[in-house]
Amino acid sequence: MRKQIGQSIVGFIILFPIVFLLILSFGKQWFYPHILPNLWQTSQWESLFSPSFQLTKSLGLSLLLSISVGLVSTVTAFYFSKKIAYSYNKTTWLSLAYVPYLLSPIIFAVLIHFYFLKTGLSGSLLGVIIAQFLICFPFGIIICSTFWTAQIQSLENLSSTLGGSSTQTLKRVLLPLAKSTLLLCFFQCFLISWFEYGLTHFIGAGKVKTLTVSVFSYVNEANPFLAALAGFLLILPSVLLLLANKKLIFKTSNKRPDYE
Amino acid sequence: MISIKQIISWKTALFILMLLPMMLGLGYGLLYSFGVIGLLNTGFTTEHWSDVLLNFNFWKSLLFSFGIGLISVGISLVIALWMVVNWHHDLRKGKLSTLIYLPLAFPATVVGFFIFQSFSKTGFWSRLLYQTGVISEIEDFPSLVNDAYGIGIILASTFIITPFLSLILKGIFENEDVTRFQHIAKSLGASQRQVLVKITLPILLQKAKTSLLLFLIFVIGSYEIPLLLGRQNPKMITVAIVDKAQRFNLDDIPQAYAMAIVYVLFLLFLFFGFQRLAKLKTKAYA
Repeated sequence: MRKQIGQSIVGFIILFPIVFLLILSFGKQWFYPHILPNLWQTSQWESLFSPSFQLTKSLGLSLLLSISVGLVSTVTAFYFSKKIAYSYNKTTWLSLAYVPYLLSPIIFAVLIHFYFLKTGLSGSLLGVIIAQFLICFPFGIIICSTFWTAQIQSLENLSSTLGGSSTQTLKRVLLPLAKSTLLLCFFQCFLISWFEYGLTHFIGAGKVKTLTVSVFSYVNEANPFLAALAGFLLILPSVLLLLANKKLIFKTSNKRPDYE
Repeated sequence: MISIKQIISWKTALFILMLLPMMLGLGYGLLYSFGVIGLLNTGFTTEHWSDVLLNFNFWKSLLFSFGIGLISVGISLVIALWMVVNWHHDLRKGKLSTLIYLPLAFPATVVGFFIFQSFSKTGFWSRLLYQTGVISEIEDFPSLVNDAYGIGIILASTFIITPFLSLILKGIFENEDVTRFQHIAKSLGASQRQVLVKITLPILLQKAKTSLLLFLIFVIGSYEIPLLLGRQNPKMITVAIVDKAQRFNLDDIPQAYAMAIVYVLFLLFLFFGFQRLAKLKTKAYA
């Protein structure tokens, strides 16, 4: 009984924010002390289907940005993780991969902003993609490094011994085996980019209006209803991903880099 | 024809992609903070550094962030340990095993917004308590966001970290086969309390220590949550640095860089110092 009550409380704490955001996204007016909005509207949701609506543009922009960052980070991280895994300084490189994470993206943005200003990348989508890549890429290396085990190395050697070229080994042996790691890496990098606010706002100079930037804009404009809608759109892809395969969102600690 | 591979080795390329931007940033920040470069700077000076290092508010921000991090991780750890120890079967199968993943889908921005809308003086809980007669006016509801103690920031950080930590601890619980050790200890006559204190907790905490440190660093470096739920004084360190860097007063920018460098050094010291300490301890046991 106590266990059931406890788990119900946990369930409520987890589900309440989603329901709350959904309710608020349909609100038009919410005077104190009404528990729920005293005026409702569906026009905000309807506007989402209009391409000129700012939030629709932000949704498209966020998708483009996160998919680009996810793809570029995964491909480069996979390549370099192999090099690291087979090198003598594996532990050092993997330790160094944690450094950008330690820095906090917003502090990283403050420190490198000058170079983005000088190259004209500040305030541009390309600038934000590059800045987010610099954060996601080391993280991708940490994820992909778990793939390169002694068994994979043996399979690679076997393929070469049997006459397979490096391209054939990659296409027919490594990529099929690495599918789940690559997907995990892509979705993790996608989510880092999708969730990112500080660095995006700083490097994008407020001009690259992603969904997270929109939430803050609406909060500053004292429009909690649009902020709730933007917030709901932000959690939607990750919830869908989660329902599709929860292992893509989170990987339990049994396969961490060797040096830990 | 010479290929790119021949011009730069993979190590050089990796260095350029992973470390060079950070080093360039730190280098620029260092030169700027010492007055060597920068719009209003006139030459080498330690004035900006002494301004920062002797500034009480800077240390207050750093300690405040560290404190908020410790409290958030501490609360999350207690909740996660309790859930894993008592509900490890339910975390593996059933509704809870899916539900626990859901908060991982929430970005910090959304959590911050949700906490603000539900725990502020005009938020959901204040309205509910008013309607049920628990409070008679808006001022009776306690200040839980934008407050001096960072309660809102702790609430939001705990909401984000706890599911991650629960899943990590659940993974350790299964991988280390803690149940088997528990059975052995019980069959040797250990009490429930002894099993928890001498077997379960040491195994879980020992294996989770690096993750705990990373969560601590995550909270210290968080920006969106304190921006929405914090206040001007005391400020979280990230907000304090960005505020200085974005001010109209250009004289503040060198100080922002000095603050950023101290912050980076603090975190590097924390991370690598901890790693070294853990290694020394492992060696001592071996």
